[in-house]
Amino acid sequence: MPRCTINGVEIEVKEGTTIIQAMMAHQQRIAHYCWHPGLSVAGVCRLCMVEIEGNPRLQIACNTVITEGMKINNTSEKVKEAVKWGLDFHLINHPLDCPICDQAGECGLQEQYMEFGKYDPEMAEPKQKKRKVVDLGPRVVLDSERCILCSRCVRFTDEVSKSYELGIFNRGDRSEIGTHAGKTLDNKYSLNTVDICPVGALTSRDFRFRQRVWYLKDQNTICNGCSTGCHIKVYFNKEGFFRVKPVYNAEVNGYWMCDEGRDIYRFANKENRWQQGWYRVDGNIVELKPAELAQKIQSLVTSQSAFVVTGQFTCEELDRAIGMFVKKVGASNVFHWQNEPERWNDFDGILLRGDRNPNTRGLLEVFQKLQINTHWDQLIQKLQQGMIETLIVAAPEGVTWYPDFKEKLSIFSKAKNLIWLQSVKRKEVEELPHKSLYVIPLKSYVEKNGTFINYAGLRQSFKAVTTVLHETLTLDQALGLMLGSWEGLIPVTQNASGVTANAMTLVETERPKDRVLNETRKRNEFIFQRGRL
Amino acid sequence: MKETKVLTEHYDKEEYRFLEGYQKWGGYSMLRKALKMKPGDIVEMVKASGLRGRGGAGFPTGVKWGFLPKNGEPRYLLCNADEGEPGTFKDRLIMERAPHQLIEGMLIAAYAIESHKSYIYVRGEYNYPIRVLEKALEEAYQAGLLGRNILGSGFHHDMDIYRGAGAYICGEETGLISSLEGYKGQPKLKPPFPAVQGYLKKPTIVNNVETLAAVVIILRDGPEGYRKYGTEKSPGTKIFSLSGNVLRPGNYEVPLGFPLKDLIFGLGGGIPNGHQLKAVIPGGSSAPVLTAEEAMRATLDYECLANMGTMLGSGAVIVLDDRQCMVDCLGNLMHFYHHESCGQCTPCREGTGWLDKITQRILSGQGQPADVDLLFKVADNMKGRTICALSDAAALPVMSFVTKFRDEFDYYVHNGKSKVKGKVLAHAQMYH
Repeated sequence: MPRCTINGVEIEVKEGTTIIQAMMAHQQRIAHYCWHPGLSVAGVCRLCMVEIEGNPRLQIACNTVITEGMKINNTSEKVKEAVKWGLDFHLINHPLDCPICDQAGECGLQEQYMEFGKYDPEMAEPKQKKRKVVDLGPRVVLDSERCILCSRCVRFTDEVSKSYELGIFNRGDRSEIGTHAGKTLDNKYSLNTVDICPVGALTSRDFRFRQRVWYLKDQNTICNGCSTGCHIKVYFNKEGFFRVKPVYNAEVNGYWMCDEGRDIYRFANKENRWQQGWYRVDGNIVELKPAELAQKIQSLVTSQSAFVVTGQFTCEELDRAIGMFVKKVGASNVFHWQNEPERWNDFDGILLRGDRNPNTRGLLEVFQKLQINTHWDQLIQKLQQGMIETLIVAAPEGVTWYPDFKEKLSIFSKAKNLIWLQSVKRKEVEELPHKSLYVIPLKSYVEKNGTFINYAGLRQSFKAVTTVLHETLTLDQALGLMLGSWEGLIPVTQNASGVTANAMTLVETERPKDRVLNETRKRNEFIFQRGRL
Repeated sequence: MKETKVLTEHYDKEEYRFLEGYQKWGGYSMLRKALKMKPGDIVEMVKASGLRGRGGAGFPTGVKWGFLPKNGEPRYLLCNADEGEPGTFKDRLIMERAPHQLIEGMLIAAYAIESHKSYIYVRGEYNYPIRVLEKALEEAYQAGLLGRNILGSGFHHDMDIYRGAGAYICGEETGLISSLEGYKGQPKLKPPFPAVQGYLKKPTIVNNVETLAAVVIILRDGPEGYRKYGTEKSPGTKIFSLSGNVLRPGNYEVPLGFPLKDLIFGLGGGIPNGHQLKAVIPGGSSAPVLTAEEAMRATLDYECLANMGTMLGSGAVIVLDDRQCMVDCLGNLMHFYHHESCGQCTPCREGTGWLDKITQRILSGQGQPADVDLLFKVADNMKGRTICALSDAAALPVMSFVTKFRDEFDYYVHNGKSKVKGKVLAHAQMYH
């Protein structure tokens, strides 16, 4: 365990720790572009210069292992000058068109400039011209002029995704990132290259030019795309959700997440959701507030009812909703809608798992607790025999990962009454010719607090990110209203006018008023966040 | 004034390049001698001789060999024949005139470091030397000097020629290793050093052609015999490639410590047409320039040139007379380094381009008075900030040119033309 002094602070580090690792661990500021904790050391940006006592030359912190008694300093004038010039070299051929750059606001160069620069450039020569809009693959677009050739993306495809698509071509200041002959940047993790790009060179085709990042707020949550349960950050504003980025978690996802998980924000956006509950009367659609609709159909839920659930809901919701249903109707009528169970143990070796439900473990746990041992075939049998009058389906949010969705839908429509609970809007459901169909929109996963249990049994709780549709219900609220038994659900409070809560106020009080708006980004918060990504 | 021909003693003989002729003049007898010695003793012998790397850095060869870990891992010996330093053509001489001397030296070195595989990395443009080497390798294999059980000693060694593609950076040892591994020729981060983790992540020794050929001489004459020439810290002889404005340019083998003045005016025959000496670049284009006055005092050894703030480098002595415009010369050099920077480290990638653009602008008559200081500042901040020494190689000439010939630069930026009367700027016309 070597001891060393960094900027006058004495610390003890593990054998083999590099200076930059120690500095990041001890919240010491150090400029860097090419170093990334999840990738190998490249040592090319030459910005993480430190002065080591007894060594006349400045050393790079990313490739220098701490030895006993090392005295390290990165606040001296010599280092500051070197960093300033390091930044200058990065900027001389970099276009200074920040106002139209998609990375502005979260750009490594901007941050460094604000930290160390703020001077007029001395470069008077014409800048190097390179390719501007390069399609690297289906999800990533490259601007070669903005690239500072830190090689993070190349190392990512070589070391993490192991898909080897990217390389640096040509030499000197004509160097450019590109894909190898015959290849496109088309792997399941390609958007991570955009996250780790310190400048606006690699941009996400999905996100680019849709929002300025300073108009976005972010909130941590858990990905509901598969049973891995990656830690993610959802970016949103009052116009909706815009993108998803991974958050470092050593136990679950490290620094990365898959590309498919980036799409989960779409399910939560307004345009993809039913704003109101609805049902059909004589071929006409009648819209109703979700809570009112749920209360209205109380009479439909009889002992002849069945409840179909998926592993796409939180433990808390499942526990209460199934609990209430079992209490009223019985354990033999709850069924687990499994999505390709034969693929559940699939794993791509990095993050993505075959079980595309975030909480299958949680659901099975509830089933075990309530001793539910039903089988899917029993449901089909009962439906065919006409034994089920009312079928309540808690349909999945990530429907795109349910290949047999339509097929299952036609099975469900055999029930006399079909109560459909789902957070996303689906055409298939709207087009059902069913005579007695009741659709209650649910809250999307970004709108509720809860817990997912991932494939390994890890319990991960998360908080609501924001609220998009205030009147939607959680699964347990919907079931509670339908079964007329919402005691113990949520503390019933009084609404503003002093009237005892009814279903509506119950939902209203849940609304996280202004919570999001009060959260303002701390100044310069991005500087270290980029390092963490 | 005469050369001291130790290494190049028989280079004038046509037959010396073939196995038969080489053996006639005592060739491969040192290999026979070496194979009877203990490998460690040869390393000690080379250490004692004080032989310093002839490629440019001047690192003691025996010490380098001693860095190899003693763990029985396979080792590689790489011969650096990517002679890319502008002005240098001494390795070519050895490869063309005495390929077997190189092979013998390599075999002795390989035996000393217990390596069973070596590569000669030759620059792509060296068509003829490659052909000569290929022929020599073929002869050596047929004579049982390469392959399995060499000369019945039980030592196996295979040797191959690898043809580079002409990148300057592949002459840097880790860049050479990357290139040989099949990657883009880019230097690698150190540590780990090649002696610990080099070619294919195995311990590797990279030595220059002249260094390896000199091993034969050390074995023949012994450390004392070798030290008979040269100075205490720079023992032995070295081939200097004399070029530029001299009457008789060419390769000259002289003992280290030889006066630069004698090389230029004695062996080189002086400057033609009665022109005056203006400057000398003593060790390849990346060595800081010497003024005429300094050149008259300098001796060709590592310590004297280091004291004068320059370096012996690869031994390429480039002589500039009073017809040369120093701004033009710098423009030529900067264009070269801009073209050859591998683009890995930011200060070098961007800095070489920046320096090139500034000098070209000055040459085109658009220079500003502040440009001269800017040149120096940019170079100063490139120096010592990158993985390999290419950045220094570009920065040092700039700093020395600007410091020592400031008047010419100032004249150029103020008047938009060269201080040297009647100077036609070949370079400025070439690239603009």
